[in-house]
Amino acid sequence: MVDVSQHELVPEHSVLDKAAIEDVLDEYDIDRTDLPKIKRTDPALPDDAEVGDVIKIVRDSRTTDQAIVYRMVVD
Amino acid sequence: MTNPSALGLDADVEAVVEDTDLPPRLKDRVYETLAERDELTIEQADDVAQAVESQYRDTRVDPLDPVGTVSAQSIGEPGTQLTMNTFHYAGVAEIDVTQGLPRLIELVDARKTPDTPTMTVHLEEEYATEREKAHEVVWKIEATKILALGDVSTNVADMRVVISLNEDTLDERMITAEEVAEIIEDQLGVTTVQNGTTVEFGPEEPSYRDLLQLVEELREITFKGIEDISRVVIRREEMDDSPFDADEEFVLYTEGSAFGDALAIEGVDASRTTCNNIHEIYRNLGVEAAREIIIEETKNTLVEQGLDNINVRHLMLVADIMTNEGTIESIGRHGIAGNKESVLARAAYEVTVNHLLNASIHGEIDSIDGVIENVIVGRPVKLGTGDVDLRMGSTSGDTTAD
Repeated sequence: MVDVSQHELVPEHSVLDKAAIEDVLDEYDIDRTDLPKIKRTDPALPDDAEVGDVIKIVRDSRTTDQAIVYRMVVD
Repeated sequence: MTNPSALGLDADVEAVVEDTDLPPRLKDRVYETLAERDELTIEQADDVAQAVESQYRDTRVDPLDPVGTVSAQSIGEPGTQLTMNTFHYAGVAEIDVTQGLPRLIELVDARKTPDTPTMTVHLEEEYATEREKAHEVVWKIEATKILALGDVSTNVADMRVVISLNEDTLDERMITAEEVAEIIEDQLGVTTVQNGTTVEFGPEEPSYRDLLQLVEELREITFKGIEDISRVVIRREEMDDSPFDADEEFVLYTEGSAFGDALAIEGVDASRTTCNNIHEIYRNLGVEAAREIIIEETKNTLVEQGLDNINVRHLMLVADIMTNEGTIESIGRHGIAGNKESVLARAAYEVTVNHLLNASIHGEIDSIDGVIENVIVGRPVKLGTGDVDLRMGSTSGDTTAD
């Protein structure tokens, strides 16, 4: 199977640990469910991601060097 | 998060930076920049922090700014200049690609298949630099039908279909007459007689109708390549950012797309190959890649029509909202506009009566929070100054407002 993460359209995905999730939610003052979503079946998802996890995505941004966004894994 | 003291910055500098309104990531950048300076005074640190903060405030979207409405107008107004009819251009080696307004509509509607699906196939080093090798990949992708390999004739007297294959074409496309015969047996369930480059077969019972039927079916068989790809055009292109520093590379453009299948083919560079079907990208590369391709495709469609002055942020917002739920949703009544909470907002968009009827049958309640609902009922919308409540203070005259 093709390694999806190597494709230039796919930014880096990583699972965020518990403490970091709290920091992020505090920073934006939102609940976890307010985050954008990513499906559990998404081909770019890291293997160890489970439903409810928060994924940190580091994109090459068009408006700045890098943009960091977060998505919550949903069914 | 960066620890300022670990970078050799003292507590005063930290206090100055922490005092600003900057988000944590920008603060980190300020710390890093300050740490690189020698003999930094507290005044200089303050100046830097203040300058960064004022720049940040200037570039920030104001609170309660209706970014969605601004984006809609910013794309909509120049959009009136797009060509109305499907316009095919010969720019990329005679491959037809839908342009202009129809393409833009197709993208925001998130159609399952675009009108003119196409892939841009980049190749791995040894294939991209040699024409022969590049052609090998072409034959693996382009669907080869029987008429491309030779002539088909029917012998009505003996009730036989006779195929005389062209030897050069067979060699070129790397398929043998034996393989052709085998594929025909598999697909049509007939017994073939193969003799050199001639393949013969016929219906079990002599029947003129069955014979013609067989010929029809024979024409449909894909002997080699990917069924959905009817044509491949090979082009030599100058490359600025080639991963293996080649000045020129062969790039393949296809008519029809099968992104997943194409990525798995040997010689295809699976890190740069793309297609114009956002759903295929979504299925194979995930929602983030889908977001990227929506931005790229909408931007290219607009730039192609000379509308290169639309800020990419508007297109990014469209792509963000389309991919917000982890899948691709269309803008419009089947997607984002149709999933709105408010009955009035949905009814204001399309098929008004259906929405109102269903809402009344199910006894839906509208809390009138959104913009559209408030416009309908004639109240100030909750945007900009409309969402800010001011209350007259009732303190005695000598206390000043803080």
